[in-house]
Amino acid sequence: MIERNDLETLYNSELKDKLQGLEGIRKKVKRGQVFGILLLVLTFLLFVPAAALLEGYNEALPFISIAPLAIIGIVILVRTFKNKKIYRNRFKDEVVREIVKAIDPTWEYNHDQCITSSEYRSSDLFRQSVDRYRGDDLISGKIDKTDFRCSELHTEYKTVTTDKDGKRKETWHTIFKGLFFHADFNKEIKGKTYIEPDTAERLFGKFGQSLQMSSKGKLVKLENLEFEKIFAVFGTDQTEARYILTPTIMEALVNIYKKYKRKMHLSFIGSRVYVAISFNKNLFEPKVFSSGVKFKDIEFMYNLFEINQIIIQELNLNTRIWTKE
Amino acid sequence: MSPTIVIIVAAVLLLLIIIGMYNSLIRKRNEVDNAFGGMDVQLKKRYDLIPNLVATVQQYASHEKDLLEKVTQLRAKATDRQMNADEKVELDNQISGAMHGIMVAVENYPDLKASENFLNLQRTLNEVESQISAARRTYNAVITDYNNAIQVFPKSIIAGMMGLKRKEVFVIPETERQNVNVKNLFN
Repeated sequence: MIERNDLETLYNSELKDKLQGLEGIRKKVKRGQVFGILLLVLTFLLFVPAAALLEGYNEALPFISIAPLAIIGIVILVRTFKNKKIYRNRFKDEVVREIVKAIDPTWEYNHDQCITSSEYRSSDLFRQSVDRYRGDDLISGKIDKTDFRCSELHTEYKTVTTDKDGKRKETWHTIFKGLFFHADFNKEIKGKTYIEPDTAERLFGKFGQSLQMSSKGKLVKLENLEFEKIFAVFGTDQTEARYILTPTIMEALVNIYKKYKRKMHLSFIGSRVYVAISFNKNLFEPKVFSSGVKFKDIEFMYNLFEINQIIIQELNLNTRIWTKE
Repeated sequence: MSPTIVIIVAAVLLLLIIIGMYNSLIRKRNEVDNAFGGMDVQLKKRYDLIPNLVATVQQYASHEKDLLEKVTQLRAKATDRQMNADEKVELDNQISGAMHGIMVAVENYPDLKASENFLNLQRTLNEVESQISAARRTYNAVITDYNNAIQVFPKSIIAGMMGLKRKEVFVIPETERQNVNVKNLFN
């Protein structure tokens, strides 16, 4: 396990060289994307003057005259697409894997796998039915007695509308995008307890509390005011919710929230705790248009991977003093 | 609209509001009873563990006779007769204190601490203690809700007519709030 200070050493001694080694292919991908798109735009722009100029000749002539440009553009883009895939895979294998290994060599990292949809469903965090399920960067492992799995995830649903001309329009809506984590919980639970971001109470204060409702169960009011401002708790069993959310755990969740400042959904179901942290951007992806050799990016990834550890430590999941071993 | 209709509509509306408030108060009172019941279940679980604990500790720590006798007596008292809520709470605090004393005393008997039987017992006890603490917090939350409801206007009027009285929240005794300080054991 490396500490934050060691991360800089690792960066300077190993990762920087690896990132520099990837700069060649990154620039190639960047050039390819720029040229490919430029050619296609140019083809499009040239079509009108070509058609005007060649008017009166064969009708196919304007198309034939600009076709080579379009073909070259497409070829470049296809090749770039392949290169980008190579670049991405190399980035994940050479850089991301190293960071994971540095945090804990026993953790497993698979960049093309993710939390399964059945795991996602067991969390019962998002009940909207999913039409598109994507994810990558699966990490699984064990910290002391607690096993965990974590990956990036993006789930969406589709709506179809038809306008007055009878044209169908598909729109995709994000249900969840970000990091999805679950780990073995240290207490026996029979019911279901959910923690959701509390928008009503933050906006309207005490009055907002009365607006909080969920199909997931009854609202559970807790004593920690700071916690109550950030989260709303729902559950099938009030006492069990408090059995899980001890004063220490509430404080821990406030700390985690303050560290990442992201929307967080949690659920405690069966023998596991599920945590979904929302992010807007794609995580653990290489940069194309600006230099990839930056310590800041590495640090950001480290912070994200560290979340596995932070949740397990803060929630004291390795404390096994209750009946569950 | 004639004035009679207006009056009738207003009266019906008022009646509905009163019924609504009455029902919500009844619901809150039942929640209090329910929460107390939930706490009682956990407390009983702890009573059931006491003979087992006493028997296990006795084997190794015969010097702690006083402590063990005290907790046994308290348990007998608790299971012996019907008590009202306040008495129960008071007795329960005493039991908590006595159990705490035993757990501190156990620190002096490494053999006991290492025995399988005791370890299992300790786990079960931790479990029950966590459940009790959760049940107490639920009880307090429900009581706060109830107290708020019966003291806030206009529900306070109906609550007064129903004879509903303010209830006390569970206060955790000072001895339990303090963590075990290992240093104190050697003083």
